[in-house]
Amino acid sequence: MSFVTDSPIHSSSSDDFAALLDAELEVGSSGSSPDEQDDEDEEADVDANNNDDDDDDNDDDLDSRRNKRCRTEKLEDLEEPEGSTSQGLIEEKIEVSLKEDICTHPGSFGQMCILCGQRLDDESGVTFGYIHKGLRLGNDEIIRLRSTDMKNLLRHKKLYLVLDLDHTLLNSTQLMHLTPEEEYLKGQSDSLHDVSKGSLFMLDFMHMMTKLRPFVHAFLKEASEMFEMYIYTMGDRPYALEMAKLLDPKREYFSGRVISRDDGTQKHQKGLDVVLGQESAVVILDDTENAWMKHKDNLILMERYHFFALSCHQFGYNCKSLSQLKNDESESDGALASVLKVLRQIHHIFFDELDSNLASRDVRQVLKTVRKEVLKGCKIVFSRVFPTKFQADSHLLWKMAEHLGASCSTETDSSVTHVVSTDSGTEKSRWAVKEKKLLVHPRWIEAANFLWQKQPEENFPVSQAKNQ
Amino acid sequence: MFFHIVLERNMQLHPRHFGRNLRENLVSKLMKDVEGTCSGRHGFVVAITGIENIGKGLIRDGTGFVTFPVKYQCVVFRPFKGEILEAAVTMVNKMGFFAEAGPVQIFVSNHLIPDDMEFQSGDMPNYTTSDGSVKIQKDSEVRLKIIGTRVDATEIFCIGTIKDDFLGVINDPTTA
Repeated sequence: MSFVTDSPIHSSSSDDFAALLDAELEVGSSGSSPDEQDDEDEEADVDANNNDDDDDDNDDDLDSRRNKRCRTEKLEDLEEPEGSTSQGLIEEKIEVSLKEDICTHPGSFGQMCILCGQRLDDESGVTFGYIHKGLRLGNDEIIRLRSTDMKNLLRHKKLYLVLDLDHTLLNSTQLMHLTPEEEYLKGQSDSLHDVSKGSLFMLDFMHMMTKLRPFVHAFLKEASEMFEMYIYTMGDRPYALEMAKLLDPKREYFSGRVISRDDGTQKHQKGLDVVLGQESAVVILDDTENAWMKHKDNLILMERYHFFALSCHQFGYNCKSLSQLKNDESESDGALASVLKVLRQIHHIFFDELDSNLASRDVRQVLKTVRKEVLKGCKIVFSRVFPTKFQADSHLLWKMAEHLGASCSTETDSSVTHVVSTDSGTEKSRWAVKEKKLLVHPRWIEAANFLWQKQPEENFPVSQAKNQ
Repeated sequence: MFFHIVLERNMQLHPRHFGRNLRENLVSKLMKDVEGTCSGRHGFVVAITGIENIGKGLIRDGTGFVTFPVKYQCVVFRPFKGEILEAAVTMVNKMGFFAEAGPVQIFVSNHLIPDDMEFQSGDMPNYTTSDGSVKIQKDSEVRLKIIGTRVDATEIFCIGTIKDDFLGVINDPTTA
């Protein structure tokens, strides 16, 4: 073939082939063949892993132009063996055949492999319908994406934050369930044209009304600087997208990361399998612990936001809701403000205080440590809190207190600091008063759990239980 | 690729449309039914350009509907494997980017984006070369090659690549 001999760079074809094979097998560019130094610019084409691009830019252009000319002339001769074709074409042929032989099918779009285009009908991997309809990724690809994304995020000093919607960031109710006392809200709703300042929205087309939790705008703005945020709700996709529009009209906090129950892999359960982030760097904010059975260590439990009467009823509370009382949670002192402080603390500890190398840090460990500081130093005895014959140390409150750093016991002694009771007339309660120990209602422990701070004991007095 | 072909379809018409405007009614019903639909064989029907022939109507037994076999010319769009297309980027993320060429949704995975382009997250996620000279972001125009297609009732899905010569960004929306 004439043009091969005409081309000064390409020496005899066997040397080209040796150089090509070496590069493909990634033996290394230096020292593997005496011709390597002369043929330095060939390597710029050969392997993408080679980082000599800066040196080879000029040669690169020349060479690639030459290769392109070779390729356009060579269209008919694709079947020719390596000896008579130019080096660039050999490289492309081998790369293509390697790809087809060992395509790992990292994922599929519309049931076609995203790498080779082959039709795929298998059901392995996870569907990522919330990113784009028809997208599905295999497990290996998900692992690979998670680790590259992790490196990227750690460089920007960010972690992942998964946020629940209902009762955590907002409270929604259907219009037909509004009580007469709540009718006044219809006149007070904020405009849908500029949602960044508003908090109460009437969504006629969905027959519902939504109230955003106080402080939510500031919360999202500040959290977005420390975390890459996801919405994960048990509502359906249209609902999730509408709420995302209210919370994030400029699409700067969540962009496409809105996961609804239609995207989850399991019914009635939320999972981190559809979140493209390493589990060791995800913090979850949700009001329902049971939705995250497999990821309780990543979860920060939020106190439920009940604005509408319907919400109170659904959870069995007989009291009046915030809307009926014409009241609302405190903006500067409410649940979102407190949890933001905790998130800042966790972020600070993760990035500034942990000694180990960045890749091996685990936000779950940080969560545990921070939690254990809340009731550190307290020793608690319970009285009339657990049903008789109940295994005390498996009770929710016992475990909650232990997670918060307190130690619990069934017997009173001098090291006890707190007696938690529902009745001030019990033996242990009276002992507490006599020994000048702190006597508190169980809600003191729950408050510490939600507010991540030991609350003043005098706010949780215990009254005498009324006898029948 | 676009094609101008002749297709045939049996149209059913309710008797209330009979009368002077029978033909117009038939043609407008045909347009409403067919334009914008997809089929595996022909692809996406973009527009009907003319009616070639309308056959004799047959009254269906049991109902008063009449079936007319209609032959019509139309422009169809069907992507093929190996075809080179220009498309507008609609979404960029860490897995690759999604682009649209008319009704066709194309996904280019990051495996098929040249290795010197890296994903940059942020307000406007994009893929950029290390020297910043080439950028792919939302609303960029790219030339890509189709490596797989799949058609269902209303949509056509394609897998594309820009890893070959002469493929990639045509028009950067931030410059020009």
